[in-house]
Amino acid sequence: MTASIPKKSTAISALLRSDFLTQWRNRRSVVLILLVPVIILISWKSVVAKLGGPFVLATCITIGLTAIGLMGYSNALARDRDKGVFQRLRVAPIPTSYIMLSRLAVQMAMILLLTAVVFIVGYTELHISLKPLAYALGLIAAIVGGALYLGLGQMIAGLQKNAETVNATTRLVYFIFIMVGMFGEMGILGSALKQAVHWSPYGTVKTIVAAALQPDVWNMDTTMALLGTIGYSIIFSVLGIKGFKWNTK
Amino acid sequence: METETETDLKESSVKPGTSVLMVEKLKVLYGNFEAVKEVSFSVFGGEIFGLLGPNGAGKTSSLNAIEGLLKPDSGQIIIAGYNTKDKALHARANMGVQLQSTSFQPELSVEEILSLYAGIYGVPLNKSEGMDLLKGINLNDAAGKRFGKLSGGQQQRFSLLIATLNNPPLVLLDEPTTGLDPQSRRQLWTRIETMRSNGHGILLTTHSMEEAEAVCDRIAIIDHGRIVDMGTPVTIIEKHRNNPEVIRASRKGRITLEDVFIGITGTAIR
Repeated sequence: MTASIPKKSTAISALLRSDFLTQWRNRRSVVLILLVPVIILISWKSVVAKLGGPFVLATCITIGLTAIGLMGYSNALARDRDKGVFQRLRVAPIPTSYIMLSRLAVQMAMILLLTAVVFIVGYTELHISLKPLAYALGLIAAIVGGALYLGLGQMIAGLQKNAETVNATTRLVYFIFIMVGMFGEMGILGSALKQAVHWSPYGTVKTIVAAALQPDVWNMDTTMALLGTIGYSIIFSVLGIKGFKWNTK
Repeated sequence: METETETDLKESSVKPGTSVLMVEKLKVLYGNFEAVKEVSFSVFGGEIFGLLGPNGAGKTSSLNAIEGLLKPDSGQIIIAGYNTKDKALHARANMGVQLQSTSFQPELSVEEILSLYAGIYGVPLNKSEGMDLLKGINLNDAAGKRFGKLSGGQQQRFSLLIATLNNPPLVLLDEPTTGLDPQSRRQLWTRIETMRSNGHGILLTTHSMEEAEAVCDRIAIIDHGRIVDMGTPVTIIEKHRNNPEVIRASRKGRITLEDVFIGITGTAIR
């Protein structure tokens, strides 16, 4: 008689439990990820009337999504790879896809948490109120947009082996996305950059989240932004998965 | 001082003498470099088999291929009757692994890691059963500690517990005693020997010839990707006793396994 392979449900629930616990134990970094969009949201209180509530909420959600994909997900992948956590899991009788799916599920929960926090702070502090449908579509758009940043995080961790390099790269990309994305989109950096930002990963996500929060204004430009987001997600994910090494050697 | 108990070590379901690992003409390439050149050996239930070799000899590549961490270029690996090519998960379910640099999620406690691995190996384990297992390796007081906070000896005992959690016929131990003090090393040897007497087949890699001589029933010496000799430590020593290179390597007035190893694989640092 020999040992048998475990049930799918048992293995996945064990992985999910441990990945959620790990996230909970890292709650300080979770708070920091949530804090940046919340601070921006509160500091923009005076411009809500000028820019519009959905625009402000969408900007903050997009910045939060960037932080989750770049600062959270990719660095956790790089660190666990560096420490040999993945190698230990890979010798267990489970498909490697379970390991990644469990981690992505945790990040999806983070995306929902971030979006809910931005909605709540927007409502309580800035009195931004949306229709129930807009809130629901906002959550869906955040998941679609979040997939792009998780793909980008996967790509950076896939193309760079060293955990320190991954950390440095994600910080740099995060900074560029926030500074160039936010200011470029407003036209402060010139009209050419404004156009470039609009079709960048930052801009397409921001466009679909903003449109989801006001479904009446959804137009061809938004549909193109949605297609752009999906396209970027596919490209980043394919490159990230193909290039990903489970160990640093 | 911590005392050794073996209450957690279960008997393997494999009969002693049955092959639990069969490696046939294993070849591993890194680009044009042939790291493992048609290596063949078997490990049987109830035996400790040592794979010895200098750095870069092909030991880790062979072990990684068996563990499923790298895909061999040719040859086959059969674990408890399952070919790793087409029954990879079944093969892994029948193999317990203690990696050289064991690392578990640093945020999780010992108890939580135990629960995670019980889940992914399909071992039903409630809280009190988990505590019993930890008690068996004298870690019941450390159940709430993070893995990184344990001493080297405690980490190795815990890793070994995880490796044998589902009572696999084959256990792979990659340099398990590296960095341990003599007491912890002896404790680990006792545990490994208990596993052998319970019918497990154990494949062990080590740089310590003293360890190989003390615990291994059979050894294979691998160098430049090939097995250069295989047999019991005693027969290998006897076979090479009169080799001039071995005599030159001898330092203690008698021929040891280390002298034979140096004599066969050379004195050059890799």
